[in-house]
Amino acid sequence: MAYSDKVVDHYNNPRNVGSFGKETPGVGTGLVGAPECGDVMKLQIRVNLETGVIEDAKFKTFGCGSAIASSSLATEWLKGKTIDEAAKIKNTDIVNELKLPPVKIHCSVLAEDAIKAALADYKEKHASVPSGAASK
Amino acid sequence: MLKQDYFSVFGLPRKLAIDTAELQRRFYALAREHHPDFHQAAPPEELARVEATSALVNTAYRTLRDPIARVDYLVRLEEGRTTREGAAEKPKAPPALLQEMFEIQEALAEAKTGALDAATRARLSAQREGLRARLKDEEARLGASLSARWDGAAPAERPAVLAALKEALATRAYLRTVIDDLAEALGEDEPSRREDKRVAHHRH
Repeated sequence: MAYSDKVVDHYNNPRNVGSFGKETPGVGTGLVGAPECGDVMKLQIRVNLETGVIEDAKFKTFGCGSAIASSSLATEWLKGKTIDEAAKIKNTDIVNELKLPPVKIHCSVLAEDAIKAALADYKEKHASVPSGAASK
Repeated sequence: MLKQDYFSVFGLPRKLAIDTAELQRRFYALAREHHPDFHQAAPPEELARVEATSALVNTAYRTLRDPIARVDYLVRLEEGRTTREGAAEKPKAPPALLQEMFEIQEALAEAKTGALDAATRARLSAQREGLRARLKDEEARLGASLSARWDGAAPAERPAVLAALKEALATRAYLRTVIDDLAEALGEDEPSRREDKRVAHHRH
């Protein structure tokens, strides 16, 4: 099966690989896995506590090319979004952008799960900070 | 026969305990009955049906004779899925396991950036042995106690048992992946690896 050019590009030049300290203020961490294949994905956001905007995002994924590309793309999309906007990213957006074949859709689902988990972790740790402060 | 599930192909109830000797006997009988070679004189549509049935009998046998593949199939059957994709309710892997797998992978990636020295090799090797032992335990649990729980469960208890089966299958998948990746880093083939997964999910 051939990967699309965009998958290959993200796989060869993954954006935003790395991690933040879990307890750093403004950081939310999502760690998820795909039981179908044993892939693991960690995705983190760093939110500006004044504005509620995601200023930076990082990921580390141990898995196939599509899983790496999905999480790499997700970090690109997350930057500059508010928490509420970030919550609207859907796996189907990732599928369309990367032209993932049906057998790789679970990789995009994994990336969406990772975003949700990171947002949930952020909210839990920063319950007093308003989300979407900059959206209006 | 073409619309039957793998259990009913062999006239078996949807239970995980299977007498494999009996399964094999039934397989041989059905394989003979539906062997395309014995139907060469049949009209084309009849022959096509025989060929499809023969393929079904073979796939059903290969799936049910393996205790783990049997569980995997049962879970999909219960959820009305034909493939591994699209689980309605995703199994929740224990978070501690995910964290552990992530840390092993991270350390492995770190080790792979340089040449593996003897100490690192020994450490990775020992780690792999430990994980293999856990994989064996998990597979034994799936094939024995968890399977028995399914067979003995009242209808109301089945969703809970199904969830436990899925979690054990997920744990097994994570362990297998990390064991494979360790073996690959050590330059050794992992004999436990079945080729179906390699093909279905090629990792680069």
